[in-house]
Amino acid sequence: MDIVAGLATVLGNPVLLGWVFLAAIVGMIVGAIPGLTASAAIAMLLPLTFYMEPLPALAFLYVIGKSGRYGGSIAAILFNTPGTAASAATQLDGYPLARQGKAGKAMKVATISSVIGDVIGELLLIIGVAWIAVIALKLGPPELFAVYFAAFVVIGSVIGKSVTRGLASAALGILVAMIGLDPISSTERFTFGSFDLTNGISLVPLMIGIFVLGEVFTQIEERGAKPEMAPTRDQDNTRNALRWAEYKPCLPHVIRSSFIGAFIGMLPGLGSAIAAFVAYGEGKRRARNPGDWGKGALEGIAAPEAANNAVSGPSMAPLLTLGIPGSTIGAILIGVFLIHGIQIGPTLFLTSRDLVFALFACGLVGIVMYGIIGYFGAAYVGRFITRIPTQVLYPIIFLTSFVAAYTSRGNMFDVYVMVVAGFAGWAMRKLQFNPAAFVISFVLSSGAEEAFRQALLLGDNGLTIFVTRPIALVFLLIGIAAMVARVRSLNKIARATALKDA
Amino acid sequence: MSSEAAPASRAVGVALVLLGIGGTVTSLGIALDQYGRWGARFFPLAGSIVLVILGIAELWSAKRSSPLDRRFWPAIAALLALSIFYTWSISAFGYLLSTAVAAPLALYIFGVRTPIGLCAAAVLCPAIYHGIFFGLLGVFPPLGRWFDLLDVIGGY
Repeated sequence: MDIVAGLATVLGNPVLLGWVFLAAIVGMIVGAIPGLTASAAIAMLLPLTFYMEPLPALAFLYVIGKSGRYGGSIAAILFNTPGTAASAATQLDGYPLARQGKAGKAMKVATISSVIGDVIGELLLIIGVAWIAVIALKLGPPELFAVYFAAFVVIGSVIGKSVTRGLASAALGILVAMIGLDPISSTERFTFGSFDLTNGISLVPLMIGIFVLGEVFTQIEERGAKPEMAPTRDQDNTRNALRWAEYKPCLPHVIRSSFIGAFIGMLPGLGSAIAAFVAYGEGKRRARNPGDWGKGALEGIAAPEAANNAVSGPSMAPLLTLGIPGSTIGAILIGVFLIHGIQIGPTLFLTSRDLVFALFACGLVGIVMYGIIGYFGAAYVGRFITRIPTQVLYPIIFLTSFVAAYTSRGNMFDVYVMVVAGFAGWAMRKLQFNPAAFVISFVLSSGAEEAFRQALLLGDNGLTIFVTRPIALVFLLIGIAAMVARVRSLNKIARATALKDA
Repeated sequence: MSSEAAPASRAVGVALVLLGIGGTVTSLGIALDQYGRWGARFFPLAGSIVLVILGIAELWSAKRSSPLDRRFWPAIAALLALSIFYTWSISAFGYLLSTAVAAPLALYIFGVRTPIGLCAAAVLCPAIYHGIFFGLLGVFPPLGRWFDLLDVIGGY
């Protein structure tokens, strides 16, 4: 019932609808520009939302995240360059279809599948999130710390090509978050006598640096490269019309992939890229025509697109119920909640229930909006992007990142933080560290430390409290198991590569 | 999504170990709480020790990795220098003047060579950004310590 009230709030507010519509367009364009991600757009626009009411601010950024995930498929299909990591799986079948002159058909399949996946994910979030919050309220500090620990290890070890560098990224995130005054004893930590550092490192400039300025540094290496678009001429209308008989075989893949994406979305840090590839692999394994996958199978577009968009809603569940962001977008949204004085965590459903369900309603409306715009206008978006001169776009983003970092607190120190974070973000990408793990760990650290220290007090300063409480022990083991499984799988890949080279 | 494992590198391993040792030493300097407990030290120390362990693991499995592509490093260095200079100059000369210099330089680094385009950026970028962020949004602009164009043209 809460969602009905939420929908009524959204549909009855034209200004809010305007923000959602704008977000659907902005997200789609940003997601479709190779190199730019929804996270970068959200980080850059975050300071602007500080001057908005909480619901429009959250809805604007939340819907950019959703349509940005979908927008990545436009670049994957039309330019053979995934706009986001999550749409790399879509490229496997999308671009071959585009080369056959069926880019329009591929885009329609991607749009419908994205919309179905996103709606399923959002509905699962709406149905399940209040239950998770009830359970979360019953978790004590030892269990909460164990959840944080599992999140650190999973985020650090599962994403990326190197477990050691992924975990090191997470550890660096923790260390940077420790800079400033200890919140309990007010002891100075890593301040080195600097007054500016006693306030700690602010989340917003750090994220603008890592995701926006870092991307500008990376894009210098792509200077002059212009995306080439696959043909999308009007005379291909007959080949590009999508009939029900063609989409029907995609439906089982879409449903299965939506649930895969929703499940992966609930796990902190894994994100839509992993969901898309798992769904693609699973879809190909179960397909009646596995030989066609990779050569332009419609199912090969439907499965990853449904999965990567289904991640969006459920990735909000750990954020809203435990304060643990499931994705970089979730980490950025924490900043919006904090700036508007909204305490996230299980009590959010007691204090701001209307706001949360109105946000979910905005998500549903946003899905419909980007679905309609994408179905009829994806090719136009593609053509628009080919006309954007990247040698002008990235300097503009460069200048915007400075003013955005300053705007967050009106503080030049934040701009220096942003510059350092930007260079560090570029270096991390270059050295195959994991910037997402760094930022999410930075966000998680304060909550994890608080839970850890409360647990120690409960356990009379003994660490055994974490192994004598069954739920805490289960989460600790989940974290360790995930890391061991990842190390084994990477070793297997390394051995296979060595054998191939021999 | 990874499809191949990244090779471990000796330089990365050494850097992680050094960072970890530095963090450990600094963490041990964090004051104990009033009851003599390690409260505020735990997390910084744990993070630093984890870095040392991960650095050793990286060194342990280090292989000769392919050299990094350094073709674009001069451009990267130029952009980094511009970033630092731009930030400093905002503090010294205010937002308008600094952006008027930084905008054409950023465009130049990214390959724009048209004099008209560069001149237009020098005028339009400060005006547009100032209008949006400090005019419309009402954020108080960063004023220059030594000189600020806003003092000359008046008003914010």
